[in-house]
Amino acid sequence: MSAKLFDEIQDVRARYPEGSRSAVLPALRLAQERYGWLTPDAFREVADALELTPAYCKSVASFYDMFDLAPVGRHKVEVCTNVSCALYGAQQVLEAFESELGCRAGETSGDGAVTLRAIECLGGCGWGTVVAVDHEYRLRVQPEDAVAIVEELRGA
Amino acid sequence: MSAQPELVTVTIDERSVEVPKGTGMVETAAAAGIEIPVFCYEPRLGAAVGACRMCLVEIEGMPKLQAGCTLSAQDGMVVRTARTSEKAAEGQNSTLEFILVNHPLDCPVCDKGGECPLQDLTFRYGPGNTRMQFPKRTFEKPIPISPLIALDRERCILCYRCTRFSESVSEDGQLVAENRGAGSVIATFEDEPYRAHFSGNVTELCPVGALTSTQYRFEGRPWEIQNVPTVCGMCPVGCNISATTREGKVKRILSRNHPEVDEGWLCDKGRFAFGHLRAADRLSEPLRRAGGRRYVPISWDEALDDAERLLRDAGPSIVTALSGGESVEQAYALARLLRIGLGAHAAVLPEDVPDTLDHYRAPLSAIRDAKSIAVLSDEPVVERAPIVDLWLRAARRNGAAISYEAPAGAVDVLVTDDPDQATRVTAAAVYYLPRTPNGRGVTDAWSCASDGEPADEEPRLVIVSGDEAATDPSVRALAERADAVIGIGMFEEDFRGLADLVLPATSYLERDGTTVNLEGRLQRQRRAVLAPCPDELAWISRLGERFEVEISPHASVVFGEISSRCYGGIEFGDVGERAELPAAAVSKPPTATPASDKLSQTTSGGRGAGAGAGGALRLVAYRPLFSGPAVERTPELHFQRPDGEVELAYDDARARGIRGGDTVTVSSNGTALQLRARLSRELRAGTVRIPRDTAADLHPTVEVTK
Amino acid sequence: MPDVTQIVMAGADDRDLTKLAEYEAIGGYRALAKARAMTPAEVTDELIASELRGRGGAFFATGRKWSFVPKPDQVPNPHYLVVNADESEPGSFKDNEIMARVPHRFFEGCLITAHAVESKDVFVYIRGEYTGPYEVLVDALEELSKRPDLRGDVTIVLHRGAGAYICGEETALIESLEGKRGQPRSKPPFPAISGLYASPTVVNNVETMATVAPIVEMGGAEYAKLGVENSRGTRVVSVSGHVANGGNYEIENGLSLRDIIFRADLGGGVPGGRALKAVIPGGSSTVILTGDEIDVGYDFDSLLKLNTAMGSAGIVCLDERVCMVQLGIRVSEFYEHESCGKCTPCREGTRWMTTILRKLEDGRASRDELDLLLDVCDRINGKCLCPLGETAAVAVASYVAKFRDEFLAHLDGAGCPFGDASPLDHVLAPVAMHTHSPVAEVPA
Ligand SMILES: Cc1cc2nc3c(=O)[nH]c(=O)nc-3n(C[C@H](O)[C@H](O)[C@H](O)COP(=O)(O)O)c2cc1C
Ligand code: SF4
Ligand code: FES
Repeated sequence: MSAKLFDEIQDVRARYPEGSRSAVLPALRLAQERYGWLTPDAFREVADALELTPAYCKSVASFYDMFDLAPVGRHKVEVCTNVSCALYGAQQVLEAFESELGCRAGETSGDGAVTLRAIECLGGCGWGTVVAVDHEYRLRVQPEDAVAIVEELRGA
Repeated sequence: MSAQPELVTVTIDERSVEVPKGTGMVETAAAAGIEIPVFCYEPRLGAAVGACRMCLVEIEGMPKLQAGCTLSAQDGMVVRTARTSEKAAEGQNSTLEFILVNHPLDCPVCDKGGECPLQDLTFRYGPGNTRMQFPKRTFEKPIPISPLIALDRERCILCYRCTRFSESVSEDGQLVAENRGAGSVIATFEDEPYRAHFSGNVTELCPVGALTSTQYRFEGRPWEIQNVPTVCGMCPVGCNISATTREGKVKRILSRNHPEVDEGWLCDKGRFAFGHLRAADRLSEPLRRAGGRRYVPISWDEALDDAERLLRDAGPSIVTALSGGESVEQAYALARLLRIGLGAHAAVLPEDVPDTLDHYRAPLSAIRDAKSIAVLSDEPVVERAPIVDLWLRAARRNGAAISYEAPAGAVDVLVTDDPDQATRVTAAAVYYLPRTPNGRGVTDAWSCASDGEPADEEPRLVIVSGDEAATDPSVRALAERADAVIGIGMFEEDFRGLADLVLPATSYLERDGTTVNLEGRLQRQRRAVLAPCPDELAWISRLGERFEVEISPHASVVFGEISSRCYGGIEFGDVGERAELPAAAVSKPPTATPASDKLSQTTSGGRGAGAGAGGALRLVAYRPLFSGPAVERTPELHFQRPDGEVELAYDDARARGIRGGDTVTVSSNGTALQLRARLSRELRAGTVRIPRDTAADLHPTVEVTK
Repeated sequence: MPDVTQIVMAGADDRDLTKLAEYEAIGGYRALAKARAMTPAEVTDELIASELRGRGGAFFATGRKWSFVPKPDQVPNPHYLVVNADESEPGSFKDNEIMARVPHRFFEGCLITAHAVESKDVFVYIRGEYTGPYEVLVDALEELSKRPDLRGDVTIVLHRGAGAYICGEETALIESLEGKRGQPRSKPPFPAISGLYASPTVVNNVETMATVAPIVEMGGAEYAKLGVENSRGTRVVSVSGHVANGGNYEIENGLSLRDIIFRADLGGGVPGGRALKAVIPGGSSTVILTGDEIDVGYDFDSLLKLNTAMGSAGIVCLDERVCMVQLGIRVSEFYEHESCGKCTPCREGTRWMTTILRKLEDGRASRDELDLLLDVCDRINGKCLCPLGETAAVAVASYVAKFRDEFLAHLDGAGCPFGDASPLDHVLAPVAMHTHSPVAEVPA
């Protein structure tokens, strides 16, 4: 158990009215940052820090796309494939990443470096294809950019 | 009393009906004799959520269909249900079609078949055939979510009744929805068992066959069964139940909503422990000790001869140890036999409930409406009188302030396991939590049978009535000092080596009689199935003849006698199916003395003990709900027993750097236990709780360290 | 930005308005002082006079919404201002840029609104993916926190979402902010009466907030001179898809959709000399327009005549190569993925829609199934708990209505006439990406 995570969660908790559960999302985010994904023990820790049950915390986490309930790579590449980005060729971008990483969307590359995903609209439609690389937006990504991005992540 | 609610007139399908303003639309329609079909709506689960969309109705002046369950009656509202509105009919038909898109339609093999709202509503409101031409969602089925409950996700219609129960009635936080959208499923954390005192209620709430009792799976179809209305005999709440029987066997226990007592909820002990009726060591014939731990069956004539001899040999030096699980009539009949027939007045009574409590009598449902509540109970309320815990939670959700320390001033409600607290705390209503299901009734019955005083001498004969008494260490110690012991019980193992003569006993599901719950409400129990042995009243009556005491073998007659002395002469037949609570005794006793100082005298440790990081803590070794002879004989309930847990007050734990789930050492005088910490805000500071069996050798004052 | 009247983005092309000093240099935070010198009711009246309508999609009159909030002496609970920065509607990315470039104008609006609705607690619910704007807001808030003269006694908390479109719906947002699964609540009660923590709550969009300070500064009546009837002032529109210059543009309401798409200083027209086939006018939840229907004012009334809406002002242009069945699939997949799962018609209906559309695209469907699709849409519409499912049904049904021949051409073994010439061919959507956590696999 991590005393630091516990304390961080208490800090977040103090921002919201007493007795509310508002700190659940930020606490899950902190736990995920710490452990890479939301392990059963991560849920237990968050639950303990917030006086909730692990079942409740997982119920909440599993509602949201950004929480990982299974192991992921060290980095994430998330390609928006909603309509606008798709009109710019998001599918080709996604496929370029698939062949560069040697895994399919939804999977993690064999070396554990990168988890690749298709993702719903990222809110950058006019600047597509938008790719979130470790949650940082790359705009107007073309299929040929995949090589450099993957290299950058593997090197990092 | 609150003011008369304003009445409003609502027109539903051209029928006009007058109801109090704000009445739910489903209830308003029902008042007009019109059904608005529902799945997710269940007022006991809190505000309507409008999820399933089965209840769509048309409201004049609103362009869109509305979820009837979320509406309330307003004056002049004009409502059309599927009966008179094509649009509403199409809406309900749509909902059913969408529900059935993923429903397996496996009614012939489903336990819910024949009593399934989905089956029923589909027949009446649904589409005739399916237009869906793609594969249905499939899941592994059924999966056990505990040894008691199976979940069939394919049948689930995601009405969220079960999760709302878990979240906002029992507040156990164990049964939840996972994922989103069409991928949503009902689940427990990491497939751990749904371990909570009230888990079984979800099997009754589920409107389809998704959550079913593993005990009842394939055990009966609605047309083969009978439901006997009776009252649970497992704890002092006395929830109203229906015992479903088939071919003379109890197959399941269902709630039978008494709005003042249980609101239709049951704990898992009351619901699932009926398996004890057919325990392997269930006694059906009298046993005579043949030396040591060996017994031989004997006939009833022999047994009565033995009993008569043992009683005559002991004369009046007999002590009767009662369990508190006997019916009022059984206790009274025993008392007549022993006190009138033999002058044997001594008894170990399960409860000592002062009459003053009758002045603070109120229905349990009054807890929900209280604004201030003190819970002064060493033992956890939920372990002693489970439903009271649900009423307390309802009160807290309504905004009540609940304190676990002696209150400074008056409170609306006091809940306590110490009857003396009633004289210390000023409260409008007091709920004393007896230890035993019918302790109050048994005590009443024993006391009103005679005025004789017990002689103060070592007993020569001890009569151990009931398995609870037989497993009580102090009763066993008493029995061991006596020359002879007569046992009356259900299970051979509980009496083996203890009694010289064992007479088989009935369970509360096998007899007629009455019982008094913690409110002081007299309730009627009905025989749901035949016992494997004669009724106690039958042989007590016969034994009575030998001592020239007239005791009727009929519960109704026995009750008549007690009633004239204790219960205001009410007739057996008038103890209703939903019994009323007698009014509180009128003249209130003198005002209570302020509590705080007196309380600290009665409890060692007290407030300051938990302060600071070190300090010794006061140990409460409590008796868990999931324990006792019936639970021991219901293997599927064993996972519910608290195992290796210590409950710590939140602040005490934090002061010691302890977090929920941590393994801690609890020690006193050389004994040390490694236990899993559970943190609670419902515990007085300075106190720790450990189940009695776990606590074993620990002393009343312990250290807890990480 | 082009030479249109700029209200929300004013000054952002010339200066770095993420800096408090720069923002103050162009008169920033003067409106706040002015508002604080007024009574809350006076500020609300100014907003009513401006005829500002919410920019989040529902287009509800902002001043009126504020006026529904009970006075503190009527309801003693704290009052909350919750800002909807969850922008997730496909096609919309304006709030992204507003927060990233004019954070102080946004916060100034929040503080004025807090004053108007007598709230001391502001929660900004920003979608979890918006890392960039979040960081800008964090920095701006830090500068602001050093200026008690500006911040006053108001606390602003930035609350990050975690990836769920439905949390843009105001009651789902409140649920999510309360630490729950983001499922909409049944209304009434409306948030103004019982919202966050069962207390009176105003929920407003980012752009709405960023418009408040200019309104107070110039006066409501002056603002109402801009735009057209029922759609006053300006609007930041998001233009994307098959246009030369994808991006956000602040326009005066009522400008024609053709101008927005084709003017060189705005969308710049369809690249590659291709014909404009269709336009989604206000985010994927709105009824589609054909390329011939764009000579329409971009305002509430004009679009209503075409049965559509400005929605969240996400204008998506589709050129002649795009297959409308594929569009239907991709849009339906989005709503299926984002359906919260609470109400039956949306949860089951969106999934059913996707299934039929996929069959259509593959040529495995008959005329009956096309009718079934429309019937399923019809059966979702008007029966859901919140607008998510309903808009999905209405949008997809509009593709069939406006491009019926194209749908018919797919039937009875014919399959897709466009195939992979259409950029939407076989686009992998998250809902089809079964390994994507956390939404469970829905095995076929
Ligand atoms: C499915 C759905 C998604 C929505 N998403 C957003 C959103 O991302 N941002 C937003 O401001 N409003 C969104 N709304 C509208 C909000 O419910 C609400 O009307 C708005 O935040 C009010 O702010 P306004 O009056 O300033 O526009 C959405 C509504 C629905 C039904
Ligand atoms: S399991 Fe039953 S009660 Fe629970 S959501 Fe499904 S249908 Fe409703
Ligand atoms: S009963 Fe009304 S929506 Fe379910």
